[in-house]
Amino acid sequence: MIPVSVITGFLGSGKTTLLARLLRDPGMARTAVIINEFGEIPLDHDLIETSDESFVRLSNGCLCCNVRSDLTLTLGELAARRKAGSVPPFERVVIETSGLADPAPILQALMADGELNGVYALDGVITVVDALLGLNTLEQHETSRRQAALADRIVLTKSDLQGARPDAVAQRVGEVNSGARLLQAVRGDISPTLLFTGGSYGLSGKSADVSDWLAHEMHAHTHAHESDIASVSIVRDEPLHAVTLALLLCALAENCGADLLRMKGIVNVAEDPQRPAVIHGVQHVYHAPAWLPRWPSADRRTRLVLIGRKLRASWVRALIELLEQEVTRESARHG
Amino acid sequence: MEQAPLRAFLADTLALWGVAGDVQQGRGPAVAEICTANGALVWIEPASDDAPFRWQVRWRAAGEAPGAPREVRPRACSSLVGVLAAMREALNVERGSAVRIVPAPAQT
Repeated sequence: MIPVSVITGFLGSGKTTLLARLLRDPGMARTAVIINEFGEIPLDHDLIETSDESFVRLSNGCLCCNVRSDLTLTLGELAARRKAGSVPPFERVVIETSGLADPAPILQALMADGELNGVYALDGVITVVDALLGLNTLEQHETSRRQAALADRIVLTKSDLQGARPDAVAQRVGEVNSGARLLQAVRGDISPTLLFTGGSYGLSGKSADVSDWLAHEMHAHTHAHESDIASVSIVRDEPLHAVTLALLLCALAENCGADLLRMKGIVNVAEDPQRPAVIHGVQHVYHAPAWLPRWPSADRRTRLVLIGRKLRASWVRALIELLEQEVTRESARHG
Repeated sequence: MEQAPLRAFLADTLALWGVAGDVQQGRGPAVAEICTANGALVWIEPASDDAPFRWQVRWRAAGEAPGAPREVRPRACSSLVGVLAAMREALNVERGSAVRIVPAPAQT
């Protein structure tokens, strides 16, 4: 499987600078790059110097609006050309979205497209946030908040500039998505090993990955911003029945709609308590639960992180509790 | 299932959907009665113990007269998920999509 990483961030946040610098790192050799620009005169590809073993593809139009026709076809064509030997045997794909793109449709296409699924695995989402203007951008533009909300890693840029407010931006970003790992890069200087895991969007089965994205979510807190994007964390001591988990995913997809941007979690399933199930989804599309071989730590509680708009922790907790009560009673009734 | 937590959950659900209304204890078999600002009424009743489903939901949509079709012939629901689906139909709430489970990527 070829890992695919998505670099996103609002207009002018520093995505291209970051990518250009990353591609100069020897560890990024054999990387195929897809740049999605939103504008009549594409420029970003001219700003990125590619080595012999990395190359640039351009997509016209906005990826999140034309995700089927553009991204799917481009990735499919790349895979075919790689197989035929007409392009270098790249081992990683990096997609730089346009600054106005909503990453969710891109992630859904990567997760759910049957043809892509056999070749590519989504590695993660890297969101670039500008420490100089990012606070205002996050307040003014929902797209910016959605980009931050869907991130696995958030890279603060321009913190060296006069007037930058990295601490305030970091705090706001943490309110939107406290589960993402927060990093800083001045002029794009950051090690690729901090950004790319080689896994698959938190589902790699590596205990360390699971621990990493749950590490910041242990306090069962919620950051409430009325009509805004926020993360909700749920910690539950008792195991859940597998049926409860299935019903929960249905209920979330059907009742939260596009307001639920992302959900991920590690679940203690009553039928198999010795190993946890990892769940992960974007809006209504979920990967089938993946089972880790063992619990990553002594903490065997179910932990869920939901990121979305208008979500209330009390609603999610009550939903889980009521569904589990219902399933427990039905199980007892039918022996 | 305790009735007060269920009613609190249903009230939170209305808020999530952006529907103005309240949830009260229902009369008769109804454990919850939902009354929205635009006049819709929904009654949620537990099914009898020998029924092959757990809930039944009756409603009178906004603008309908008493004795509306779904008030007379309730919808049977096998779980709370079904109750929420019936409520969305009764209240004309457009929300999300059916959940879609896709294969997890192969481990590398």
